[in-house]
Amino acid sequence: MELLLYTALFAPLVGSLFAALFGASPKTLVTGVVTSLLLGVSLVASTILLIFVITSGQFVHVEMMTWITAGDLYIPFGFIVDQISVTMMMVVTLVSTVVHVYAIGYMDHDKGFNRFFSWLSAFVFSMMVLVMSDNFAGLFIGWEGVGLCSWGLIGFWYQKESATWAANEAFIMNRIADLGMLIGIFLIYWNTGTLQYHEAFAAMPALENATLVWIGIFLFVGAMGKSAQFPLHTWLADAMEGPTPVSALIHAATMVTAGVYLVIRSHELYALIPNVGLFIASLGAFVAIFAASMALVNRDIKRVIAYSTLSQLGYMFVAAGLGAYWVALFHLMAHAFFKALLFLGAGNVMHAMDSELDPFKMGGLGKKMKATMIMMTLASVALAGIYPFAGFFSKDLILEAAFVEQHYIIYTVLLLTAGLTAFYSFRIIALIFHGEERYKLFGFHPHEAYKFMLVAMSPLLLLAIIAGSFKLSYFEMVTNLLPAIEYHIHHPLTYWVITLGTQLFVIAAIFFAYKKYMSKSIKVPDGTSVMEKSFFYKLLINQYYIPRFYEEYLVKPYRELSCVFWKHVDQKVVDATVDGIANVIYRTGENSREMQSGNLSTMLKWMVAGLVALLSLAVVFGLATRHSDKIMLILSGLGV
Amino acid sequence: MMEIGLNHYLVLSTILFSIGLVGVMRRKNLLMLFFATEILLNSVNISFAAISHFYGDLTGQMFAFFVIAIAASEVAVGLGLLIVWHKRHNAIDLDLMSTMKG
Amino acid sequence: MLDNILSILVFFPAIAAIFGFAVAKDSIRAYGVAVAFIEFALSLLLWFSFDSSVSGMQFMEMVPLVPAFGINYILGVDGISLFIVILASFFTMIGIASLGETKNVKNMIISLLFLQMTMAGVFVALDAIVFYVFWELSLVPMLYIIGAWGGPLRIYASVKFFLYTFTGSLIMLVGMLFMAYFYYQATGTWSFAFLEWYRLILPETFQLWLFGAFFIGFAIKVPMFPFHTWLPYAHGQAPTIGSVILAAILLKMGTYAFIRLSLPMFPDASVFFMFPIAIIAIIMIIYTAMVAYAQEDIKQVVAYSSISHMGVIILGTFALNVEGITGSVFLMIAHGVVSGALFLLVGVIYDRRHTKMMAEFGGLASVMPRYATIFGIMLMASVGLPLTINFVGEFLSLLGFYQQSHILTLLAGIAIIVGAIYMLSAYKKMFFGEVTNEENRNLPDVNKRELVALVPLVLITVWLGVYPKPLLDPISNSVKSVVQLMHDKAISEEAKTRIPNLMDGVTRVKETN
Repeated sequence: MELLLYTALFAPLVGSLFAALFGASPKTLVTGVVTSLLLGVSLVASTILLIFVITSGQFVHVEMMTWITAGDLYIPFGFIVDQISVTMMMVVTLVSTVVHVYAIGYMDHDKGFNRFFSWLSAFVFSMMVLVMSDNFAGLFIGWEGVGLCSWGLIGFWYQKESATWAANEAFIMNRIADLGMLIGIFLIYWNTGTLQYHEAFAAMPALENATLVWIGIFLFVGAMGKSAQFPLHTWLADAMEGPTPVSALIHAATMVTAGVYLVIRSHELYALIPNVGLFIASLGAFVAIFAASMALVNRDIKRVIAYSTLSQLGYMFVAAGLGAYWVALFHLMAHAFFKALLFLGAGNVMHAMDSELDPFKMGGLGKKMKATMIMMTLASVALAGIYPFAGFFSKDLILEAAFVEQHYIIYTVLLLTAGLTAFYSFRIIALIFHGEERYKLFGFHPHEAYKFMLVAMSPLLLLAIIAGSFKLSYFEMVTNLLPAIEYHIHHPLTYWVITLGTQLFVIAAIFFAYKKYMSKSIKVPDGTSVMEKSFFYKLLINQYYIPRFYEEYLVKPYRELSCVFWKHVDQKVVDATVDGIANVIYRTGENSREMQSGNLSTMLKWMVAGLVALLSLAVVFGLATRHSDKIMLILSGLGV
Repeated sequence: MMEIGLNHYLVLSTILFSIGLVGVMRRKNLLMLFFATEILLNSVNISFAAISHFYGDLTGQMFAFFVIAIAASEVAVGLGLLIVWHKRHNAIDLDLMSTMKG
Repeated sequence: MLDNILSILVFFPAIAAIFGFAVAKDSIRAYGVAVAFIEFALSLLLWFSFDSSVSGMQFMEMVPLVPAFGINYILGVDGISLFIVILASFFTMIGIASLGETKNVKNMIISLLFLQMTMAGVFVALDAIVFYVFWELSLVPMLYIIGAWGGPLRIYASVKFFLYTFTGSLIMLVGMLFMAYFYYQATGTWSFAFLEWYRLILPETFQLWLFGAFFIGFAIKVPMFPFHTWLPYAHGQAPTIGSVILAAILLKMGTYAFIRLSLPMFPDASVFFMFPIAIIAIIMIIYTAMVAYAQEDIKQVVAYSSISHMGVIILGTFALNVEGITGSVFLMIAHGVVSGALFLLVGVIYDRRHTKMMAEFGGLASVMPRYATIFGIMLMASVGLPLTINFVGEFLSLLGFYQQSHILTLLAGIAIIVGAIYMLSAYKKMFFGEVTNEENRNLPDVNKRELVALVPLVLITVWLGVYPKPLLDPISNSVKSVVQLMHDKAISEEAKTRIPNLMDGVTRVKETN
């Protein structure tokens, strides 16, 4: 069993190192194949471990070696496969394998083919370290590792200024959150004496509530960065600069869910501080509707899907914040499948349309790209939460949980967001695949993606459809570890009204979207229409002006302050003082040089002056010693 | 008639010393500098001799002899150098002698 | 031979340097590499024979010099100094091996060997006068290296470096003389030996003054804000090898001296000054990171980043607990490796383009991919990515100081953010984007000679980031004895609470904010 653990963990690393050997060479197909194969191996190992965990209910726990020891601090490289981590492992390895195979086709003509697979596998390795670690320090290693790989992959096309800028923004924003997480880790160590999950959580009930609240808050700050919760959310949309497989893997299924994973893993802590949980849930609800609103008008298909991810992350945090940890994990899993599928489908569209991102320039592609259309439509249906697709089981559960726990505001917000989600998802579908074939005006010649890429995407499609059926067996497995709260609305009438009502609301939104965007009168907006001039449209399309706010009030002042520090403080104040002291000494020397004028008369004058001074001193000292007691009397009288 | 005591000689010596000091400080002519130096030395001689007489200790007068001898030899050498300098530069103004400038 | 290995380590390079005058110009490089390699091998032998479980001094040697005043030639090494000694010889070796085109290369190599002697001497000296001699002597070869092979402002930079550091050291010397005098007053015998001074418990006022005197000397060397302005000039004007040795080893003399001298001899003063010094450290971290961000010259970016990292080291030292001080010693090694590598990397591009202005570069990643990769790894190490060597040191230092103050640690933790900002921005300016300057289009990638120095550094960065235990164990052991000594000697109440008592079996004290 330990061997399986190590295989699952290290196979991606081996693949990454293998591909790195070819890093500077032109494309060699074998790198893509080998890395995908190794990921497949990891997937198989994870599956076997999953079956083991389900059937036996036991964990697999290894301590590989010591990492840091100093004083009382002991941090090992330790890994654990329990119900939570094995779920994450399955999600990560499955989506990664699909994305790797897909990328062999997508990155077909790219010069950095080998480098891409090296980074991608390195990312998977970091993510595995993150979810499989048994202590907070190991989690942090994986945490920063995925940040690094995300930087390398967002900025993969490094000749593009926008890509490298987005990469730096992502890394720095994540770092801001990581500081919070680091403080949380320090708090845990100094209060419980260990960073191992098991022992730390066991010691927590004995701590003061205030300490626990701080730990919870700081850890959540770390989660906010990775999962792009407001206000650290701007990097996620900009991260779409990276190649689409990267968006599918990192920014839909894995890295961004790391924050949710952290909260789920720390559920024993958050159960003790329900107020913090309520804050998390409220923030999640806010983000859900906030992101959905921005997706309504956006004209970049990847950004719309990115906002959709952000919105769904909000859903997950609502669930986790309200204590429905298994629900959050379930939604994480289901979401990974259909969101990754959506991104990959969008990748197909982009590939066909020469990397064009504006859906208004597409239209009627369904005729040429039937398979992609079907996949994306079904994925969107799952996202919208229509029965019997996966999304229904996971999203509706969250709505039920909010309702049952009597957080009606959160429930309403999430319900509205569900409607918005359906609307914007199908807006994109309608604009791309239906209606007039507007792309012909722009000279595009779209074609379907390679067959093997479609084949690679199909497992995701399958899971997006059937994952709901896993709910019960999943529930049984994961509640060995997580609190087993079942959310039942007791009154059957209420239950049916709510469920059916939600479904009808969502379906109505879908129809509205189709009707509006399939019509023949859609043309590319050019800034003149009434809607485009309206205040709300401008607000939403500029992302509530938050990126501009950050740029004007945070980035620019920082840069200017740095220049001020350098030119005015360091050079003109600190250094000038040092040089000033040196100059004083220098000038004193220069002036004293006047004494050596070579003029006998002047020197004689100096001699006389010196003589007088010394004589006076001698007289004064002599008098002082003669009358020392009288002098002491006077001084003490003055209070010295 | 007032008794001439030690203090009178000392006052005389002080006055002569300050005259000499001022002269040393102010004179620009090398020859006049020598004069001032002689005045300084002789003022000290006066005080040596006076103190020695009034305290009955001959050490002071012996010292005065030493000072006279030293003064004489110093003037001899100095005047010799002065004449050589004058032959070369045709002036003995102190302000013009500044080759030892630092 | 093992009995005198420390003397051999100290004097062998100097003697070899003197013989080096007789070596022909064509073989001086080989000679230099050979000597440095033997020195490095000797230091490895020292490590191999070092007993990690002993926390006190090992391989001690003593030869009386001036018995009337207690000045003796005493050498000794413990977990704290061992690795810096090894690092010094390592850098001398790879530095000489990767020397590029240098005029008067014979003088350069001889200077470097002399410098190696002084560096080894400082870290193993256990007598104040011997320590001071080596401390000051290290300035001379450095002055020469910067002054003879440096850039346009080299005379200004080298003289400023020399005089500034020298002034501080003089104040330190006065402190040392006072300390010896107090020792004489207390015990009746003269002694300048550190180990004997450790036993002396001084009243608080004396401690404060002496701490201040020593502080000036060390603070200028570290360099701490606001005594840091000599460093950008020294680095900016020095040749590559000068910067490498300066950043990797010479800066560590100051921080090492804090742990060796200030902390054990003046525990109450250390606690008294802990918060002001922590504030200075935080200013160092954040302010110099911002100044680094504003720079246009890549070497200055790295120079200011050095000061920023030294801030974390100082913070770890003044955490006054085992985790913190262990972290700071480890970070000294880590910073040496990473900064040395970064300066070598700057030297690589300077050798090709004879400019260090980032505006002249751009898009280098497509022209020199291997160089970009190595630079990227070192960049991430500098930023403190886990599994690189810097992370272990930074994590431990910050963790240690957290016990003393939560808020200050939070402020200091901003180091990870500002560090990322300037480093990523510099990397982007140099490597990303299109190749805009025609001169950059055909630059050769890193060659074998440069790789000889860079590859070992990359390997160490990753190896010690993943498996730091071989270093952490001896360091932690020696630090434990220092902390215990401090606790036992402390006379003020605050010191007794802030410095943990290891005899209780825990290194944690009750939370005091």
